[in-house]
Amino acid sequence: MSALEFRCRHQFRSGFELDVQFSVAAGVTALYGPSGSGKSTCLNLIAGVIRPQTGRIALGELLLSDAVSRVCLSPERREVGVVFQEHRLFPHLTVAENLRFGQRRQTRPPIDFKKLIEILELGELLTRYPRQLSGGQQQRVALGRGILRNPRLLLMDEPLSALDQQLKQRILSYLERALAEWQIPTLFVSHDQADVRRLAQQVVVLEAGRVVTSGSLQSTLDRAVTVAMQSHPGPLNFLRVDDLRMVEGHCEGTIGGHRLRLPAAFAAAPAPVYVQFLPSDVTLSRAHIDGLSVRNQWPGTVREVVRMADRLFVAVDVGLPLWAEVTPESADELALAAEVPVICLVKTAALELVC
Amino acid sequence: MADWTFTAEDWSAIGLSVKVSLTAVIVSLPVGMAVAWMLARKKFRGKWLVETLINLPLVLPPVVTGYLLLVALGRRGLLGRWLDHYLGLQLVFDWKGAAVASAVMAFPLMVRAMRLAFSAVDPRLEQAARTLGAGPWDTFFRITLPLARNGVIAGAILAFARALGEFGATIMIAGDTPGETRTVPLAIYDLLNSPNADAHVWRLLLASIAIAASTMAAGEYLQRRGAEDSAAS
Repeated sequence: MSALEFRCRHQFRSGFELDVQFSVAAGVTALYGPSGSGKSTCLNLIAGVIRPQTGRIALGELLLSDAVSRVCLSPERREVGVVFQEHRLFPHLTVAENLRFGQRRQTRPPIDFKKLIEILELGELLTRYPRQLSGGQQQRVALGRGILRNPRLLLMDEPLSALDQQLKQRILSYLERALAEWQIPTLFVSHDQADVRRLAQQVVVLEAGRVVTSGSLQSTLDRAVTVAMQSHPGPLNFLRVDDLRMVEGHCEGTIGGHRLRLPAAFAAAPAPVYVQFLPSDVTLSRAHIDGLSVRNQWPGTVREVVRMADRLFVAVDVGLPLWAEVTPESADELALAAEVPVICLVKTAALELVC
Repeated sequence: MADWTFTAEDWSAIGLSVKVSLTAVIVSLPVGMAVAWMLARKKFRGKWLVETLINLPLVLPPVVTGYLLLVALGRRGLLGRWLDHYLGLQLVFDWKGAAVASAVMAFPLMVRAMRLAFSAVDPRLEQAARTLGAGPWDTFFRITLPLARNGVIAGAILAFARALGEFGATIMIAGDTPGETRTVPLAIYDLLNSPNADAHVWRLLLASIAIAASTMAAGEYLQRRGAEDSAAS
């Protein structure tokens, strides 16, 4: 049974119309799309901040809102937890009081407070006030507050977008640990491909108030990205690196079964390690090339060739999907089309570490 | 050298003033908070009318306000009859009438300060509280009111100080009975009309200045302490 069934149509006075239908299963689902596509509106509809004109929203057996039977639960009875983009901690309460605010008022079995403090490393902050915390600490408290409500569904509205890259990666790993511990179904709004790829198992892609596509992450996002993200940098390669080790003075890891040579700096990075690189950093060849400075050469098969404005992207299946950007001339020259075998060459220096 | 000791009548006037003003503030506080909150948070039809009515006592001559209250609350007035019949309350020519007059006159000031305070509370915090399981009342008392605390205190203090000085509307509805409805301003007015009472007048003048000043100082102190609380490390 899915955690959330969402079907809503809502016309705003500004003229924007949302007409969206999707469901959320266990695990993390991302609501992905450019800004103004209606992601946050969906979240507000689920949280009960906006009342939908038509449609039905149900959380398991709990009916949140239904236009036909005129049900619309007030926000406090919805059993969802919300982590907002701008933390929204209560300034007159301490961190501990903020954390306990939702827990005191919930009717579901309580989350272990001590365990949460330990996982999110909040122990030293408990007696402080929100304004005495850094941005990352504030967001961690907000996350804890949402989880302590033990919601049937955790909603997160771009919880990372106000943070700088380094901080974001740290919060992401806290988030991963917390979600792994409590297994709360989560709906996560983001316009950042890398965050979505890292956190989510399912994705719903929105554009202009409509669902473009939805499903499990890899295929959906890759296809959707090409449609929805008509802007630079186009699709982004974002991959998890396993089995990191030093070999003869350089660093190596594996990605989807392929050995990968990495900049030496990677060895010191804490697990899990992710790399990202642009499609333009991937070179395609029809044959294996010897005597080349590029160390990372992965054989694969072309899945599809996508034209985006005046640019050309090639999705290659090398055991996992990889995007390459080519010029129209070279695409002609290599006769790139679906099912054509190719070799992907990725320069080690182009790999950007994300951890 | 003038005699600076208060007479029994002076004490009665001072006590009455404090009693009337305190009653006025305590009775109008919940109403004032509710109205201020509605004006700050809600959009509704006829909002301009509510605002105009509340602010009317600020611009009407107090005597006119007093007369209107007298008409409404008098024995033949609609409200007066109802209060008498159901609650056995007779407000006219009674200290309770003086409290009503003070409350009405002070109400716009109270609401203005509280409304500003409620408007300054970020409604997104209230939303967050709701999503965390707090109902509307819970949210008001745990989030909105504590965050608007200083403004609410300021509103109450201001109303108290304004009530202390109430004269025109009070004399219309409550009259000027010594020991019953003669508050400090009325007592001063009476003394000014009697011969050789200069020293006596000064005593009462200083007393009313002292009460008003200590009220404002107390308000200032409470607000400053509130500010320190929220800045505490």
